[in-house]
Amino acid sequence: MDLLIQTLINGLILGAGYALVAVGLTVIFGTLHIVNFAHGAFFALGAYATLLIERAGAPYLLAIPLAVLCVAAIGFALEATIVRRALYDQGEHGSIIVTFAISQAIVAAIILVVGPDPLPVPSPFGQTAVSVGGFFLSAQRIFIAAASVAVLAGFALWLRRSVKGQQILAVSQNARGALYSGINVPLIRSLSFLLGIAAAGLAGALMGPMISAFPTMGDANVIVAFTVVILGGLGSIGGAMLGALVIGLGNALFETYVSVSWTPALGWVLVILVLLLRPQGLMGRAQLDRH
Amino acid sequence: MTDITTGAPAGRARGGSASLKGAGLLALGIAAALAAGFGLGGDPFLLNLAGYTCGFAIFALSVNVMLGGLGEVPLGHCMFYGIGAYAPAMAMNHAGLPYEAGVAIGMVVAALIAAPIGWLTLHLTGAYFSIVSWGLSGVAMVTALNLDVTGGPLGLFGFSRLAVGPFDLSRPQTYFFVAAAILLAVLVVLYHVRGSRFGRAMEAIRQGPHLARSLGIDVFRERLKALVLSAPIAALAGALSLPYTQIVTPEVMSVLRTVDALLAALIGGVGLIFGPAVGAVIFTILPQFLDLDPNVKVLVFSLLIILVMVAAPGGLHQLWKAAAARLSHARKGDAP
Repeated sequence: MDLLIQTLINGLILGAGYALVAVGLTVIFGTLHIVNFAHGAFFALGAYATLLIERAGAPYLLAIPLAVLCVAAIGFALEATIVRRALYDQGEHGSIIVTFAISQAIVAAIILVVGPDPLPVPSPFGQTAVSVGGFFLSAQRIFIAAASVAVLAGFALWLRRSVKGQQILAVSQNARGALYSGINVPLIRSLSFLLGIAAAGLAGALMGPMISAFPTMGDANVIVAFTVVILGGLGSIGGAMLGALVIGLGNALFETYVSVSWTPALGWVLVILVLLLRPQGLMGRAQLDRH
Repeated sequence: MTDITTGAPAGRARGGSASLKGAGLLALGIAAALAAGFGLGGDPFLLNLAGYTCGFAIFALSVNVMLGGLGEVPLGHCMFYGIGAYAPAMAMNHAGLPYEAGVAIGMVVAALIAAPIGWLTLHLTGAYFSIVSWGLSGVAMVTALNLDVTGGPLGLFGFSRLAVGPFDLSRPQTYFFVAAAILLAVLVVLYHVRGSRFGRAMEAIRQGPHLARSLGIDVFRERLKALVLSAPIAALAGALSLPYTQIVTPEVMSVLRTVDALLAALIGGVGLIFGPAVGAVIFTILPQFLDLDPNVKVLVFSLLIILVMVAAPGGLHQLWKAAAARLSHARKGDAP
């Protein structure tokens, strides 16, 4: 029983971390209609930016926002030079290839600049564990969960309450309708891309101390994020959060009770099943015009 | 992505002149292969690399059946490549069968697996299809890592005899000639497929699935045929990599392998029948001669592919055509 509760707690915290990556992915899909295969690379950039800023002397808590700014700046540059030209309204196969190429270029650049070896990302929470009612939690995990819940709640509130947030929702519902209503669609798309990338960077900065920084660290995470996002319904933000918790719990349970070495296949099998059985996801609406 | 069509007519069979052109291209290919085979002289490393490049070109052609043919991005195609590499390795190491038998088994298995996979997944399009395809290759890779027959993470190695009939593939020159001959055979097959009713149906589907359906084309069945056609070709490519790599590990199913093939196809031109093969040669030979660090290579080629997608979605030859068109336009402008 204790093992089960410990596993469930770990799963929920894991899920909170996944949610951050997944929400970024789903916001980008919702407004730009591209699946950002480079998401994992921005996740890695977030961890490396944190690491480099910390090396320059900044404390971890200050390094996180700075790292997110750095990743957002890189995302902005890519958006303005490549994404905007190559992707908008141009069939899916181009966007898949371009985002994949961006991802490979970023990973190769990280290897060339920083090196291929895993590097620890220092964090004041370190490896200390906190005992809560007899269950052990690492302080870093609690921090990850708290930070992602706070950021996601803030983001959800911002989407509901602010004009820009409403415009993002409008564009993801119907880009042409939004355009006719006087919404600056290209601006909203750029903004969504930036927000999505920044969320990936933040996730990298938060998860870095736990899994340490290595160039392909984003791969495993973005695969999970795909699962989460598809499970929740591509483009659905609430679905992404719910999907993240489901996957976090599922992974933790599978790892504890079935097999660690087969866990990577679990996410894939879930993705495949969801896409085949319920392509609109748990909370997404069925698309009328699938093209 | 309609721009790709501009690259298509070059390789299309239409009437006698086209098949004559095809024969000419084939003769050119044979001449190039012979020149390379003897021109590379005694250098076993380069000959081995050239043989491997032919295998890689076959894989790029297989990927391009999906990419250029259907307009889908088959990220998980590396799975079929992996099946093709594992089948002869397992046949030789576990069953004592000869290499050729293993290759044939691999191709049959790939086709047999492709049929149900296609039946399940080809209802999906675009990013959904790509993700499921990637997912299946991920499952295949985890399976290869965890099973004993595949040798787990260490993979399989120490093969008995890599030979096709009397041709011993452990001799670099023989390896290259066999691989080049198979590559040319695959090109001929794909050339005829493109000119066939099935090939034209695929082209119609790529340009507009709804319109194709309205013309009476069974879109789903043609897409399925394309996958079942391309899977054994990918398996053949995987089998041809063995004499070069001498080992099969689960890494063979890494999605990066598919990405390499996609890049090769895109550089060479997805609309051209031989484009992927040319792209594969550029992709493997050029970095070898420039002595590039593998990471610099990835960086350069990724940026190149972004450039291609932004500026010339049909392949690098489009840049050349555009430049030529602009030049002739400028000349005309000067004349009067």
